[in-house]
Amino acid sequence: MSVPPLLILFGSESGNSEDLATIAEKQAKSLGLTPSVKGMDEVEVGNLPNYQNILIFCSTWGEGEMPDNAVDLWEAANGGSPPSMSGCNFAVCALGDTSYEFFCQSGKDWDEWFEKQGATRLLDRVDCDVEYDDPAAEFTTNALSLIASSGTGAANPSDEEPSGESGEPSGDGGPEAQIETDSDDLEGLLSSGDRSLMLLFGSQSGNSEELAAKISKDAKSYGLEGEVHDMDGFDFNSLSGKKRVLIVCSTWGEGEMPDNAEELWQFAISDSASRLEGVHFAICALGDTSYEFFCQSGKDWDDQLEKLGATRIIDRLDCDVDYDAPAAEWILETLPALAAVDSTGHFHDGMVDAIKMYASGSSAGAEGEDGFSMPEVKSEPIQASVSVFRYDPETCSTGTDTWLCSLPGHMSVLEVLRTLKASQDGTLTFRDGNSDDSNTAISINGRLVLPGLCRLDSAAPMRDGSVSLRIEPLPGFEVIRDLAIDPWSLERKRESSDPWMVAATREGAHTPQGVMGTMDPAIASSLHSMKDFGSQNILHSSSDAVPHANGYLGPAVIASTWSRRNDPRTSPSKAEEIDKMLSSPNGIKAETDLASINRQSSVPRAVSESLLVAKNSVLTGDGFNGKHGKHVWWYTWTVKSSGMVNDTVIYRQALGPFALLGNLFSGVTARMVLGFTRTGGNVFNGMLGMVAPPAGIGKMPKQFNSSVENHHEVVAIFNEMDGRF
Amino acid sequence: MALKYAYHPGNIAHSSATEVSQTMEPTTRSLGIELFPMDGATSCGAGIIRQANDLLQVTLNARNFAIAESMGMDIITPCAATAGNLNEDLARLKRDSLLLAKTNDVLQRTTGLTMSGDVGVHHLLHVIVDEIGLDKVGQKVRNPIDFPIAGFYGPNMQQDGACGEDDVFDPQYLEMLIKALGGEPILWESRTQSVGVPGLFSEEATVLRQIASTIHDAKSEGAAMIVSACTLSHTALDVYQGKAGRATGISTNIPVIHLTEMLAFAMGHYNNRLAQLRTRIAVIGD
Repeated sequence: MSVPPLLILFGSESGNSEDLATIAEKQAKSLGLTPSVKGMDEVEVGNLPNYQNILIFCSTWGEGEMPDNAVDLWEAANGGSPPSMSGCNFAVCALGDTSYEFFCQSGKDWDEWFEKQGATRLLDRVDCDVEYDDPAAEFTTNALSLIASSGTGAANPSDEEPSGESGEPSGDGGPEAQIETDSDDLEGLLSSGDRSLMLLFGSQSGNSEELAAKISKDAKSYGLEGEVHDMDGFDFNSLSGKKRVLIVCSTWGEGEMPDNAEELWQFAISDSASRLEGVHFAICALGDTSYEFFCQSGKDWDDQLEKLGATRIIDRLDCDVDYDAPAAEWILETLPALAAVDSTGHFHDGMVDAIKMYASGSSAGAEGEDGFSMPEVKSEPIQASVSVFRYDPETCSTGTDTWLCSLPGHMSVLEVLRTLKASQDGTLTFRDGNSDDSNTAISINGRLVLPGLCRLDSAAPMRDGSVSLRIEPLPGFEVIRDLAIDPWSLERKRESSDPWMVAATREGAHTPQGVMGTMDPAIASSLHSMKDFGSQNILHSSSDAVPHANGYLGPAVIASTWSRRNDPRTSPSKAEEIDKMLSSPNGIKAETDLASINRQSSVPRAVSESLLVAKNSVLTGDGFNGKHGKHVWWYTWTVKSSGMVNDTVIYRQALGPFALLGNLFSGVTARMVLGFTRTGGNVFNGMLGMVAPPAGIGKMPKQFNSSVENHHEVVAIFNEMDGRF
Repeated sequence: MALKYAYHPGNIAHSSATEVSQTMEPTTRSLGIELFPMDGATSCGAGIIRQANDLLQVTLNARNFAIAESMGMDIITPCAATAGNLNEDLARLKRDSLLLAKTNDVLQRTTGLTMSGDVGVHHLLHVIVDEIGLDKVGQKVRNPIDFPIAGFYGPNMQQDGACGEDDVFDPQYLEMLIKALGGEPILWESRTQSVGVPGLFSEEATVLRQIASTIHDAKSEGAAMIVSACTLSHTALDVYQGKAGRATGISTNIPVIHLTEMLAFAMGHYNNRLAQLRTRIAVIGD
């Protein structure tokens, strides 16, 4: 698959354009693109046609002049024979100042130039005034989304500036037909043309041979076909037709070649040896530092190949007797470099990192600036049905728009939304941001996620060859437009919980840094885990009670508050205040079902468990009084008394006479008694219905339960675990 | 050959949801499932005992697991809340060897039983789809349940590890089963949401809104009936629907039956009850 390059070009005087280019670079990477960012003084005009997509950020200076770093390029572009830009897509973001006569002139000039040279304008030029942030951001998002969605700039693994000689082999072409490799086509590079790697070993004890064999085996991972040859009897001149040569050679005696290498060496230094231009080579020398001529043979080969015109692709490795580890490390650098030599003998420097990643696959481990990012696993396009909730506040109308798309499976849902906005409906509204921005949270088929961290192919199960996404705003919040929610309701609840620390006076610990407050690590860890929910919006929305319980503070506020309640630094008066809040009607008792929170994979288990502990603490503190406490108490009590639930007891004890009377008039009791009219079941469920009606009639629960078998075991467990019941 | 399971009827099949226990038996017989009562099994706690004492519920359920293990069978239940709670506690005991050891210590001292964790907990729905197969179920249908039906899962069993091979957030099993029984499955958003049963007595106003919202969602998508895989939710949706409608002003009249009732009716059991259900749908409404 061809992966054409994306160039982000900036002409900058004060740095603003460069900043925008840098921002665009990051955004492009988030879309799966691998852009190359260059100042206008870093590119040749002749190289521009090698890029399929070019984004230009250019300021204007003085009286409509180019910024300093763009002057030369502009002059070259308007020189004798400007290159054709046919086949290239471009977009220009011009920075300027409307107080000047020639507002954004430089950007306008570039816009016209690219069009004149046959390039295709991706979208209309944007002329920015001094307040350029928003229009420039919109321009960048739109342009990159178009490139990403068109696939023309996707997954470019190289940031190398293409050779100006593409179209012609740059090395000494052999007699056979050469396959020119696009410098950015990783798969093409690794799979087409001559991929042989000549591995020559000069060995006395067998170590070099063994190492050469290992390298040959490893070479397969880099798209190379290793050919291991004993130096003895090898035709040296055959190397001239090769593109990649790796020599592993030990040293013998006083800096001498091993026996099997001597003859070849003599030929190599003779006049009969062919020139080796176009050959890239690497030398691994084995030796022993206790000898004076340490690794001399390897050094000799290194010098001689260079003299013959070959190109050293990586510095020689001189190994001591323990060569395994340094050799392994060297191989990891050498093979990708050799693999980046194409069949014409051209070395693609910019492809080396991509090849390393390719070879390491998904188990490559850490990479990226933070050293902890896992490499992105790319996947093929998949069919997706994306239904997005729409809400227009002007007309107060709601609905759903559905798009059927074919998108790369590794694309994040956030990228999908960006693509839809850029290419389908510019009015689509959602909160954008970094992939881990908690404000971007949405609901996908009822699963609450950060869309930037949710891959398309894992967002929903694949059914009939496609995934179906129902994307909605987070429940429990007011919707501003489409997927954008108003988080202020939660903020106000958080504010009402007085979320600040009122610390107790504590005795400090004497430390080398002086007296200071300390905390037991286990407590610190526990406190942290209680609040370790990535997005408070998601945690708040995870409760199915939140949308229906107006005053309920919600699990996010409760979890934070509960953490503060358990913080040993909290003053007793503040703890008391928190207890009151937690046991209030808007506290944890307002949560009707913790199961809805538990099942959200975005909510860490420690957080949902801490909510249960908070509820338990509140009910215990209240002495199981009030309806909630009585419900829990009598449910538990009935299980102890018979092993089974007794609904009648719970109704009577939890609701009390007035609520029971209310049920009588509200129809609940009637529907229970008349349950047989709906189930078609018996009017009387056993003798009980005859003896003590209405219990046992229709769906009215029984008055008494018979005990389960071995009921004494149940009682024993209760007595052992909780003597309160 | 019949599939053999240790049968846990759930929490209220013996009292306010007798129709579940009545229809479970003929349904499983028709499907080739042999039920063995778990003598001495207790309530799963329904997540309510947990609110009083978390470890108490775990220990009671450990005893239930020990009983099933002694029978050499996995547990089957028609109640989603029971399936969810049992699975949750089983997963905790398997995950936390220290908890398992402590729990076994209590069990050993109080009952003489211990559990190893070598037991599974399955909801009837998952056994039907994963073990029996919908094609075989389709062959057993005598009376197609040919209504637009909204299947209700609830949140308890829609958790990782508790819903068979089905998806946690976008389940299909109930819809596939409805289709196999000749019905028209309705896709609706509230099918995995909680109707707030654990808060029914204490937070009634909230729960009534949850019930009304759920029923409204099903009705607005065109459902003529709701089928619940959860016994507790089924009872709340049925018994409290009138009060929920009056409290919210939302039309909530709709027949709500349990999964076992639908299966039994489809397989030719209780034809009189199916006739009554048809009448309610066609004439009365709720």
